[in-house]
Amino acid sequence: MTQEAAKKATIVGIGSTPYYFRGESLPQTLYELIGKAVIAAAADAGLAVTDIDGMASYAYGFEPGLITEMLGIPELNFASTISAQGGGSAGVLDLAAMAIETGRAKTVLCLGACQQAKVRYGVTFTNMSVTPDSVWSHAAGLAGPGQTMAMLARRHMHLYGTRREAFGEVVIASRASALTREGAIRRMPLTMDEYMAAPMQADPLCRLDFCLETDGALAFIVTSAERARDLKQRPVYIAASAHGGERNWGRSFFWMNMPDTDFAASGSAHTARRLYRMAGISPQEIDVALLYDHFSPLVVMQLEDYGFCPRGEGGPFVESGAIRLNGSIPVNPHGGHLSEAYVIGMTHIREAVEQLRGQAVNQICGAQYALVSGGPAPIPVSGAILRN
Amino acid sequence: MSDISARRDLSNFGVPMDRWTKPFWDATARHELQFPQCGDCGRFRWPPGPFCPGCRSQNTAWKEAGQGHVYSFTIIRDKVTAQSFVPALIEFPRAGGVRLVASIVDTPLDVIETGASVKQSWIYAGEVAVPVFEI
Repeated sequence: MTQEAAKKATIVGIGSTPYYFRGESLPQTLYELIGKAVIAAAADAGLAVTDIDGMASYAYGFEPGLITEMLGIPELNFASTISAQGGGSAGVLDLAAMAIETGRAKTVLCLGACQQAKVRYGVTFTNMSVTPDSVWSHAAGLAGPGQTMAMLARRHMHLYGTRREAFGEVVIASRASALTREGAIRRMPLTMDEYMAAPMQADPLCRLDFCLETDGALAFIVTSAERARDLKQRPVYIAASAHGGERNWGRSFFWMNMPDTDFAASGSAHTARRLYRMAGISPQEIDVALLYDHFSPLVVMQLEDYGFCPRGEGGPFVESGAIRLNGSIPVNPHGGHLSEAYVIGMTHIREAVEQLRGQAVNQICGAQYALVSGGPAPIPVSGAILRN
Repeated sequence: MSDISARRDLSNFGVPMDRWTKPFWDATARHELQFPQCGDCGRFRWPPGPFCPGCRSQNTAWKEAGQGHVYSFTIIRDKVTAQSFVPALIEFPRAGGVRLVASIVDTPLDVIETGASVKQSWIYAGEVAVPVFEI
């Protein structure tokens, strides 16, 4: 192992609570869920919780001080939070990789969790106060992320002729995968007729285009490749990780003034270019894509931004069956946010690791590279390419 | 279910302002729709803010919006009242393509489509005139 390879950030432990429908994790507290995930991740890695000396999380962030107190973690040499909302989910791996590869910390905990008993993220805008530069959205009753995504989806339909059937196929494919995924919240098959009959929620999005509202916590342990050799699990390397984004995406659906070609998109093209360059591979070499599926149309747009099909062709691409388990790029074999659970991107990292360990429920045969995307949301957006 | 897009009741809606957004509301009080343009390089920006993103100048001139059209929209049905509300993005080509989030009101749902030209209307939030549009 060269000196550089020895330093490479490597995921060696994953831990998760069960996934609960919104509010059903009570009376456990949010930090209790977090603690359980951390303990499970350390055990999975064959490390002690007290070995953790770094922490990375994303917005809806968690207090590193409280977690060290609660779990008796003696010291932290790195503690950082990516400022994004769902956009930053995969970005925790970028923070962890920087900490490991610069030697700032030896064992970094990546953390994500949500408990929606009191605050529902789906009505997040109405939870936000009206400010001088957000007043127009509030006055128009543009009250939730799904309604703003509907604007992007309709524009995509207008520009490229994308059909509702494409959005339906994203949901149906996700349900088909979740069928075999124990612990998934929605494990019933779905037909296109049932999809088309579902009530409109924010036209052109129906209720089924919206992801689940769930509770849960996930934790990941990242260390160096050299150290990973002596641990329990097959190492999963962070081949590339990035967070950032372009001004033309900006605050995206909080802004709505992106140039036309950037508007009907996922804001991920910039992150995608950086990831492929860093990993030294092309989209064709990705074996499985874990795409942030808070709203089904954004999966179609991410497939374009991540280079799996040309801009504007995401609809026909999806309708061809390309994202099914036997398709050219299997997407979310765990059922994703639409069918398994929504823990703000973290479940996608777990699935990527399970795929690359060869432990996935819907294992993609011989998977070597997995893409994980952060949510199409205000900058920073993020992503990572993992390999075994 | 209603076939005509409804007006939201904004009578108890407060409109916060700062020094950069106040000229917008000063104009709507006169039933004029204006957008901020850089006083140096001429670039329009939205929302109103302290700097031109093109040249970082703070000189700002407010210009008439001109004719707008529907860029995108969604339809939200209120299950309780059976009303349909239509938040939309209205684009103004003569103001550098600025897009304003605003309601489409008093319009049959089946004529609302991307590209449709809009007519100006107003809803009052207390004393403040909030721009809305009809087709």
